[in-house]
Amino acid sequence: MTSTARILLVDDEPSIQRAVSPLLRSRGYDVTVVGTGAAAVSAARDASPDLVVLDLGLPDLDGTEVCSRIRAFSQVPIVVLSARGGETDKVRALDLGADDYVTKPFGPEELLARIRVALRRLSAVVPAESGQLQAGDLLIDYDRRRVVRSGEEIRLTPKEFELLSLLARNADRVLTHRAILKAIWGPNAVEQPEHLWTLVGQLRKKLENDPANPRYLLSEPWVGYRFQSEAQS
Amino acid sequence: VSRRFVDSVALVAGFTALAGSTAAFRLWLGVSNPTIVALVFLLVVLVVAAIARLWVAVVVSTAAMLAFNYFFLPPIGTWTIADPQNWVALFTFLAVSLVASNLSASARARAQEAHHRRDELSRLFDLSRDVLVMTDAQALTALARSMAARFGLDFVAIALPYGDDWQRFEAGPRHFSIDASVLSRVFAEASGTVEFDARARTYSGHALHAADGANVRIAPLRLGVKPIGLLAAAGPIDPGTLDVLAGIAALAIERTRFLEERKSADLTRQREELKTTLLASLGHDLRTPLTAIRVAAANLGGDWLSQTDRIEQADVILAEAERLTRLFQNILDMARIDAGPLAAAVTLAPPADIIAAAREQVEQALRHHRVAVTLESDEPVRLDPRLTAAALAQLLENAAQYSPPGSQIRVAARRVGQEWRVTVTDAGPGIAPEDRPRLFDRFFRGAAAQGRPSGLGMGLSIARGLLAAEGGRVWAENPPEGGAAFTIAVPAEPSPESAADTR
Repeated sequence: MTSTARILLVDDEPSIQRAVSPLLRSRGYDVTVVGTGAAAVSAARDASPDLVVLDLGLPDLDGTEVCSRIRAFSQVPIVVLSARGGETDKVRALDLGADDYVTKPFGPEELLARIRVALRRLSAVVPAESGQLQAGDLLIDYDRRRVVRSGEEIRLTPKEFELLSLLARNADRVLTHRAILKAIWGPNAVEQPEHLWTLVGQLRKKLENDPANPRYLLSEPWVGYRFQSEAQS
Repeated sequence: VSRRFVDSVALVAGFTALAGSTAAFRLWLGVSNPTIVALVFLLVVLVVAAIARLWVAVVVSTAAMLAFNYFFLPPIGTWTIADPQNWVALFTFLAVSLVASNLSASARARAQEAHHRRDELSRLFDLSRDVLVMTDAQALTALARSMAARFGLDFVAIALPYGDDWQRFEAGPRHFSIDASVLSRVFAEASGTVEFDARARTYSGHALHAADGANVRIAPLRLGVKPIGLLAAAGPIDPGTLDVLAGIAALAIERTRFLEERKSADLTRQREELKTTLLASLGHDLRTPLTAIRVAAANLGGDWLSQTDRIEQADVILAEAERLTRLFQNILDMARIDAGPLAAAVTLAPPADIIAAAREQVEQALRHHRVAVTLESDEPVRLDPRLTAAALAQLLENAAQYSPPGSQIRVAARRVGQEWRVTVTDAGPGIAPEDRPRLFDRFFRGAAAQGRPSGLGMGLSIARGLLAAEGGRVWAENPPEGGAAFTIAVPAEPSPESAADTR
């Protein structure tokens, strides 16, 4: 039962604090609320919460700065609340170590779903380089570099396998275009997303039943990609 | 001093010197050595040549030769010369004095030329300094004026093509009307080729135009090889100098154009920045209440809430709806201010009512602050109570935003002469000096607001706009006891009753 998970809610808006904390408590989470970035960093250090819900617009520190400061000492999942119009802040926060984001105005279910996913990732830690991952009818064998769907082996090129295992090892988490490009093609390729688009297209054709409505390899428009381990209803 | 006067003086002085020295040698000194005499005469000729023009020197040289022959070459007292050696001496003397005169005259001509050039350079230098202080296109008239003044010209015109017509900036004591067709023709010719005439020190494209009995020189204003306009001038100026003036004018025009372009580029950039921050904070100011309302409404729909929690969630919804209403009201007020002058509806109102109305409008914003009101008098004031209250509400909201929750906001109303004044003092950090000049500008957010996501920087500019409609003012200061103090001053005649009372 994950219902005893401790969540640190960081938002300076009293109305968000007042509406979101009872919502989280009603789902059995233990909620601590702080209103500034400095308080968020020290609370993340002292109370070691299981998850941080972080608003990007804070009065004292930039939200992305808070992200990287927390990442300096902790791997706690961070879900970012972004009210700003641009995608840049979201992407920066993700690049600096945030796990996921919700855009304001959001509904309660959106936020709760992101929190559930982030907490699940935490409990089901995949060994970094070895083992297998079973997601739906897909089995990824990291050791033997094999992918099997419904008992049938799918042949992947080395690059395709590299991309799939990168996303699958970070299952349910958004990886930014930049992060993926850097991991697979190296730091010089981060400005050339067209490599990635092509590769994702190829991979979807091989993995997905319906490549136009992917089940595993989800696009996060203008941000990145996410490997979805459990089908959403 | 005129040239002719100098020449006459030199001529008379030369003859006097010749006569004087001849008399001295012959009558008193008894000098008869032709060499000494020739040297002295040569000195006189050289001095004359250094001062006067060549012809004066030649006349004095000839006189000196004759005197030399008559008085000092044997047989003395006659024009004849006995010894052939003395013929040689006589003509050598003449030749030396003529050559010396010539050399001296040409040296002086060169010195004069150099002086003239230096003078011209210093005028050009002054002119280019004039150009440096010019910042807008209208200053071209000033440039024409300074050209006319510095170079002593009768008429200067800078003409710029403006479609088919010519835009002219003219100066100088006289005025010549030059037909647009003449300008267009010269301009078209100048657009053809660019060649440099080293003798006249000009580029091609100059034209001479006879207008009203005087010659007007016209030179193209060139940037690179392309003419951008024309410079016309009448008066003592040679084509080379005019060409240089045209170059300076062209640079000045280009510079003003560049400055104007940069100004408009700066404006565009500022507008873009404003738009970006405005959209970002508008996004925040709309999204935050909407999120809170959505989540709180969903919470109300659930069955897990206690009765206290339910009231709390309902309160969140009401507070955020209030905030949206306020934002909407502000946008509306701003649009009204922009739409044209607001009509003030002046009426008699009790000060306490105005302050109460203002507090009510921003009740939500003030709920974490204590408001202390001091009224100097209850006497009703004659003003537009709605506009005044709306402006005051903005100041109260601003005070609440920039001071810590739980602190006190002081509101003090009093009459000062023909004005009714209200001062709102908060316990915040006060106004940063760098924010002062732009404090009441629309969408300006002060240093204390940096990093605060909410607030659009509309409040104070709306307050100013509303007050302007009733002839009022608003200003800010940092009182010695700390915080920030904003004061509204509205013209308010004393009410007739109170006027009757004082009588």
